[in-house]
Amino acid sequence: MVTIEASTVLKRRSDVRFRIVDDEAVVLRQSVAEVLVINEIGARILELADGCNPVSAWVDALLAGYEVERDTLLADVLSFAGELTEQGLLEPVGIETPTAAAIAP
Amino acid sequence: MSFGERFLHNPDLFPARAGGEVWGDREIVLELPGGPYRFGGLSRAQAAIVEDRFGELCRPPAAATRLAGSPHALHGLAAGGQEVSCLLFRVEAGAFRTFDLRGWEYSLDCDATPAALRLAGLDLIARLDWRPSLGGALWTPDGGGERFAGIFENFCRVLVAYRLVELGGAVLHSAGVVRHGAAFLFLGRSGAGKTTISAASLARGAEVLSDDINALLPAPGGAQVAKLPFTGDLGERRSTRRHLPLAAVLWLEKASADELTSLSRAAALACLFSCAPFVNSDPHRREALLANLARLLPPPGGGGPLAFNLRFSRAGTFWSILDEKWSQLKPAPS
Repeated sequence: MVTIEASTVLKRRSDVRFRIVDDEAVVLRQSVAEVLVINEIGARILELADGCNPVSAWVDALLAGYEVERDTLLADVLSFAGELTEQGLLEPVGIETPTAAAIAP
Repeated sequence: MSFGERFLHNPDLFPARAGGEVWGDREIVLELPGGPYRFGGLSRAQAAIVEDRFGELCRPPAAATRLAGSPHALHGLAAGGQEVSCLLFRVEAGAFRTFDLRGWEYSLDCDATPAALRLAGLDLIARLDWRPSLGGALWTPDGGGERFAGIFENFCRVLVAYRLVELGGAVLHSAGVVRHGAAFLFLGRSGAGKTTISAASLARGAEVLSDDINALLPAPGGAQVAKLPFTGDLGERRSTRRHLPLAAVLWLEKASADELTSLSRAAALACLFSCAPFVNSDPHRREALLANLARLLPPPGGGGPLAFNLRFSRAGTFWSILDEKWSQLKPAPS
């Protein structure tokens, strides 16, 4: 299990494709032919998970859209980022999981 | 288990291209959505079976070419730019493994690459190739016996599914029911209740397009549902002339009481994607499929169809609930 902290840099896994639909996101995991629906904050996190900025920077970006204390938002985002990582949608930069296409025959 | 091993003694001998000894000199054109589809190399017996199975959808090759530009050829040559050509070839029966089919749920083996799709099944070897336009080839040891209709239909199901994605549409596991002059698509996997819903709808006097598989296609006024001649237990199998505006998509759930709740567009898209056979498992084309479905399901405020989760019971009162909801929410006529 990966521990997500404010300084962790996450990126979308290479097999993840997503489409924003209204306030939600339809997420397609190419390697397992799985399609998921995630809510508004999950959709924003997927957009922000560019592999460059740490989770703390996401919180700064999200604060403008939500009337909530920074610490509360950080806790929520860390929790959500952990869930998306557990579901195989995000991965920490530098700890890349091989996708189906990258596995040797 | 690698591709083809379930069905073939030697999957390594899978044909690398469309070629071999054809069964005969008969040619048939099928006027299915996304077509016309031209099949060559059939034996006399195979052609007779196809004509019997698909009825008025079969055209002599010359007539079909003329029809392609007519209003009857929905999304045919005018939309797709060209017909889809396929050939039938012989293969030795000994190439296939034998099975005890009792209690067995049949599914094709599929192997997709960017330029081709390979298929293996019972007495069926097939490939679709994009060079760059779509074409197909079917190898079977059945020259016109009792299994041939099923072999041919299984190939056609895959062919049409891929063709419609090329044209911006999709094939969906669904029950299509006509009511209020439009089509309601009831979505669900095998066992979800599509045939039960269809039977209940027939009992109320509604028309069932297919209780198993329907086509969703783009059209100038919004998504349209096109009838496919691939049915389960209910529905006319020899005609596809019906195509109607899409009224609503409904995700089926069996329950002890009937209940209708709204489904978000994202959830509806996910449901549609999960019910799009063959292509949703193709890593090279499933993104295109999802994009098609997103275009076919615009927001209801923009004239798009409604989307619901339908929990339904054996009481069969779901249409009363659905009719009431429809009268409240139906899109204004454009």
